[in-house]
Amino acid sequence: MRASRRRRPARATSLDAPVIHPPLETGGGGALPRHRIGDELEFAVAQHPRALGVGADADAGASASADTGTSADDGDSDGNSGGDGNDNGSETGPTSADVLICDQITTTTRPTALETTLDHAAELAAALPTGQETTVLTGGLPAGYDERWHLDAETGAARTVEHNPLRSAEPVADDAVAVRVRGAGPIDGYGGAKSVVALEYSADGTLSSTAYAPGDFGLESVTGVGQKTANRLESQGVTTRSELLELSVAALSDIEGIGPKSARRMHEHARVLESGEPRRLTDEPLPGEAWGRPPLCLDIETDGLSPTIIWQIGVYDPESDTHRAFVERDDPTDRASVLREFCDWLLGVHPNRALLTWNGWGFDYRHLGAFIARHCPEYVDDWESILKFDLYRWATDREETGNALLPGRTNELDIVAAELGYGGQETGLDGARTAAAYQRFMRTGESGVLEWDRHKAYCEDDCRALWHVYERLRDAPRASGVVGSVGSARATGSTGSSPDEGSSHADSTGGSTSEQTGLGDF
Amino acid sequence: MATNEDGDGGDEGEQGDQDDQGDQQAIPITGEELRETFPRAGARESGDISVLELPGRDAATVPNSDVLRPELAEQLEHDLYTHQAEALEALECGENVCVATSTASGKTRIYALQIARHYLDARGRAAETGGKKGKPNGGEKTGAGAGAAAAPTPTAYVCYPTKALSRDQERELNDFYDDLGLDITVRVYDGDTERGETRRQIREEADVIITNFAGVNTYLHDHDRWARFFSACDLVVIDESHTYTGVHGMHVAWIIRRLKRVLAYYDADPQFVLTSATIGNPGAHSSTLIDDQVTVIDEDGSPTGPRELVLWNPPPLPSEEDGNGAGGKDAVTDRVPATVEAPRLLSHLTYHDAQTLLFTPSRKLAELSVKRAAKHRRDRSQYYTNPDRGSAIEPYHAGHSRRNRHGTEHQLKTGVLDGVASTNALELGINVGEMDATVQLGYPGQRQSFWQQIGRAGRGAKRALSVLVAGHRTLDQYVVNNSEYLLENDVEDAVVDTENDAVFAQHLLCAAAELALDESDAGADGLADRERLERAIEMWRRAGKLTGHLETGVSYTGPPRPQRSISLYATTGEEYTVELADGVDERHDPEMEPLAEERVLRDFHEGAVRLHEGQQYEVCAVDHTTPRPSVTLRPTDVAYYTRTRTDVTVLDAVSEESREIGSFTLHFGRGRVLVYHDAYDEVAIHGGKKQAQQLPTGNPPLSMETQLCWLEVPERVESALVERYRDFSVPELDSDLADTAHLGYAGGLHAAEHATIGVAPLELMVDKRDLGGLATLSIDSHLASAAADENGDDETNTGKDPAPQNIAAAEATVRELAMGLERKPASGWFIYDGIDGGLGFSRAIYENFEAVARRARDLIENCDCGRIDGCPACVMDDQCGNDNQPLHRDAAVDVLDHLLASSGDERNVLESDLLANNGGNGDGSGDGGKHDARDGDDRRPPLFYA
Repeated sequence: MRASRRRRPARATSLDAPVIHPPLETGGGGALPRHRIGDELEFAVAQHPRALGVGADADAGASASADTGTSADDGDSDGNSGGDGNDNGSETGPTSADVLICDQITTTTRPTALETTLDHAAELAAALPTGQETTVLTGGLPAGYDERWHLDAETGAARTVEHNPLRSAEPVADDAVAVRVRGAGPIDGYGGAKSVVALEYSADGTLSSTAYAPGDFGLESVTGVGQKTANRLESQGVTTRSELLELSVAALSDIEGIGPKSARRMHEHARVLESGEPRRLTDEPLPGEAWGRPPLCLDIETDGLSPTIIWQIGVYDPESDTHRAFVERDDPTDRASVLREFCDWLLGVHPNRALLTWNGWGFDYRHLGAFIARHCPEYVDDWESILKFDLYRWATDREETGNALLPGRTNELDIVAAELGYGGQETGLDGARTAAAYQRFMRTGESGVLEWDRHKAYCEDDCRALWHVYERLRDAPRASGVVGSVGSARATGSTGSSPDEGSSHADSTGGSTSEQTGLGDF
Repeated sequence: MATNEDGDGGDEGEQGDQDDQGDQQAIPITGEELRETFPRAGARESGDISVLELPGRDAATVPNSDVLRPELAEQLEHDLYTHQAEALEALECGENVCVATSTASGKTRIYALQIARHYLDARGRAAETGGKKGKPNGGEKTGAGAGAAAAPTPTAYVCYPTKALSRDQERELNDFYDDLGLDITVRVYDGDTERGETRRQIREEADVIITNFAGVNTYLHDHDRWARFFSACDLVVIDESHTYTGVHGMHVAWIIRRLKRVLAYYDADPQFVLTSATIGNPGAHSSTLIDDQVTVIDEDGSPTGPRELVLWNPPPLPSEEDGNGAGGKDAVTDRVPATVEAPRLLSHLTYHDAQTLLFTPSRKLAELSVKRAAKHRRDRSQYYTNPDRGSAIEPYHAGHSRRNRHGTEHQLKTGVLDGVASTNALELGINVGEMDATVQLGYPGQRQSFWQQIGRAGRGAKRALSVLVAGHRTLDQYVVNNSEYLLENDVEDAVVDTENDAVFAQHLLCAAAELALDESDAGADGLADRERLERAIEMWRRAGKLTGHLETGVSYTGPPRPQRSISLYATTGEEYTVELADGVDERHDPEMEPLAEERVLRDFHEGAVRLHEGQQYEVCAVDHTTPRPSVTLRPTDVAYYTRTRTDVTVLDAVSEESREIGSFTLHFGRGRVLVYHDAYDEVAIHGGKKQAQQLPTGNPPLSMETQLCWLEVPERVESALVERYRDFSVPELDSDLADTAHLGYAGGLHAAEHATIGVAPLELMVDKRDLGGLATLSIDSHLASAAADENGDDETNTGKDPAPQNIAAAEATVRELAMGLERKPASGWFIYDGIDGGLGFSRAIYENFEAVARRARDLIENCDCGRIDGCPACVMDDQCGNDNQPLHRDAAVDVLDHLLASSGDERNVLESDLLANNGGNGDGSGDGGKHDARDGDDRRPPLFYA
């Protein structure tokens, strides 16, 4: 989904941070267990908000914890040993730390009363220092949740809630406690309750989060390997993808529940994931590949997932290696100008070029089409006549397999591009962030609230990433060296075709590749 | 040219018969003949059957040419009824219209003609503007782009309450336009429509799209795909709009608001046509639904024939079956159940050549009735000498596959079938042709529904026969003994409440996901007034589901497709697929529709035996795990069916408001109701004897957060009544209460609870089935404050602990709470909304408690059953989870008398009554040596219910 795109350079994470597992954190007597990451951040962990009340700001306890916590799994996960000596517990006072981790902090929504409250607000108000802000990280709220609650220090009653804490930090009253509540839990409807969320802080305080389903890791990340199959593989001694690749396709298909077809597919996908090299599964040409000139890579920015305006249209032309951005910087109530400008340019300068997007039929083309029809209907026919490709759909949207296997835990563009070696600019933005920024502009009308260049760079980065993925796919070997099979003849006739046509095609190539088994494509 | 006779479209197939001399058309059997010929065991108590004659009505018509342009007027064979003409004229003036007339009065015809008018207007415009398109409609559209310049063909969105009705009307409308020679394409687009190309084609090409509101709710999410259809939409039809009441109506009202918002976005401002059965408040109901002015047309110009209405109270059971040791001689304690008697009448009527529709309250009874009708023939073979005569009888309900249902409809229409036993699925306007007779198995609960059902017999001017077979229920007995209740009162109001914030808030999320919310959504023309809208948005922002401000647009940021969380039918929305066990021949596949979770928990536990289309199935597995829960069946052949027991308890009730009624205290609040279906009985199909009892189902409880009201009886009234009825006992009662002094008083509370729920529909717009109750000697153990005291400072336990997994555990929980109470608990009873979230029913009862109590008191006092423990007509309830034990009528009347006396002027009489008792044991605070109310709170047993 558009809003959850993010930058994540491919790099190994070194385990120099402590392992914190809130349910196992028992601070011994009084003090809250504390952990440091580097010299910068101190985390206090409360297993239950009750602990906050008892949890004095016991410096002794804190430093003891920090000392023993320098290595990842020493003294922290079996925290009892670390904390036992510090149960003085007599000191009471506000709990201070850079970040408090407490999974019990969550919100309760009562639609009958039209109110949402913060659970345990009273305990937080009593325990946290007044007149300043404390960040609370909680697995009880979905990743992406970020609201700044101002609580009355006496009662814990919510005074106001700031919805954009990063931008608009209101001063905290002396008799109030500001709690910046940030979610670290699974995202509803994404990956289920067992999903894993990765949070990334950057220096300017932005936090990005990505949710992973358990199946995004290890063997289960391989197409066709569910929990059952993973268990069967494990009983055969196969627990990693590389071990899977050591097993021959024939041996793999001897395992109960795995047919020859799926064994081959598992192999292919495991290899893609291990090597980071994409693999094409069919002889279908890339969308627009047969076209004389490369497609223009398109990306749009809106003010939200139910857009009221398309305020930026970025187009990257691989042919000239230039990028062009159409941005509404002056009048956020003017929905038409950017569209007209873009259409005039496209039809005037590039009348015969095709467009390329990542999931454009799910977002960019859809909204462009709707907005053009509504705000500048004179362009509808021209817009309809432009050939539009969707690389994401081409790669994935086909019964069973899609046309290509992509590396990366998810199929989000930035993840795939990063896996394929694209080194993007670190704009620190994602779709939701850039939408929120524009909303601020819409509200205030002050052009200065936006760093326009940064937002343009973000959009351009996506367009270029798309081309990078395209090139890598174009250079990847096709499923078979055999050209001119029935399948590929049909395929050229049905470029940009509907999935239904595509699936019959997949069957026929499936037949032809099976004859290719053992030729050693790699 | 003239249309053929039966192709007239809509549900008015009988319009052609208006010239017939209806009165002289004999029906095969009259009410009097039915009474005379029906074979019965034992004495015939004619007092239990009354035959009422309802007069017919002549047609009033208007020449077609007065209303319609010649192109349409000349095509129609029959003149318009006055109400049709009136509605068409109002539509011509641009008004929204609600047509509230009888079944088969030709309501479909009105919007069908309006669509035709719009179509002809557009064709006229296209011709004027240079005839750019020879054919403005259909196949030549090449895409949205091509349509931009041409005049768009107007479209209409037509919503029916059921999928079955949608298919039926699709055929009718298409036939109608064929006959008129108009190229108007009518297509159904709902959950059964094939995905992909078919759907795309319908969206892009159909002129009229038929769907239901569950579909509209879903499809609004992708409104850009509907741009062509919505932009051109100039008519929205809401058929059978009276069905949108209660919680369902609330959701529909909000879906319509969301639809209007999206239509406005595409610059469409369509007219609305609503068609409704006769209800009390068609104007108010319609304008609440669509949030706009509506012109009501309710002067019915269609003819009806005279009707005989037979109110049939089944005879008393033969005395040898009556093992209860009945009281007085003239007391009617147990009658033959309607579930047995009604199928016999169905069988008898079809034998006498009357094509008959039997309405049953459940799918199970629809199936069973067909078997029982056949058995009746066999049992009375001396009378029914030709057993095959009129014996083609089939069941019909929404659990059958579409193909089967359609087959049944067709066979009914063509006369192949002699009778059908149906749920209310056939109450709505599906065209099954005219019946000679209807039989109702029990009073359907509302007059509106009652009239709608009997309207199925005697279409046009024909004579008709309708039989209402009374069940044991309070309401049934009241109705057959007070026919004026049916005949002289207006039908009920349909209630839609758009003030309910919970439902509003849910739809607000959907609206934001469809189109960002902005200032135009606030105020009189928006979704809500500014303050309410801002509060709801702030709530969702704090919850992380919405972002942004009204000035610049509020977007949805929660999990994808919030529309999915809307449950239109007050169910959890979880559906179980029905599968056939491994190794069973495919031809036994019951082809059942998916089952709602509530239904599975009640009726489809492992071991359950269900009858489906005449075949018995045993449930051999139930898989509750998502995402694909399922029920597995295998065919079986046993002589019993299963009946699940239902137990209920209330936990964590929190009082939000309370008021004093004299010394009584009445509360309204919220709490958790747990419904347990954890045991079942095996019941013989014939005779109804229980063969095995209390078998475990293994099903988890259904938990509802809902609204409740409860009455606390003051201690001195309790003490007095405990003392007065201390000698009451119930033989073989298996209960903690059995041998205590409290039993009689407890029976009074229980009886009063049943009666107040039973009469509530007489006073308020509620369906008894939407209410539940619980009488208890310890109200306090069901309150949240009790749980909090018990658990000290452990916040994690308030309201969020897992529900006790079976009723025994629930009782243990309540008992434990009772032990921990500091004060002596108050006794009384709860009444709750039996729907998650609550609908405001118990709220209405809270506000009108005195009136409800007065009716309940009169009902009990005036019942002539003569039994202490009452009868089904007064305080017994067929849905009682405790086998209607203990019940004590006199104690109930006393409790209600004290309540009403303390609210009114009869105070003096009862005060003395009380004082006398108080002198005995009232003021000692628990130390009296007598075994009074305080002789051990551990002996105040916890719960029982309705």
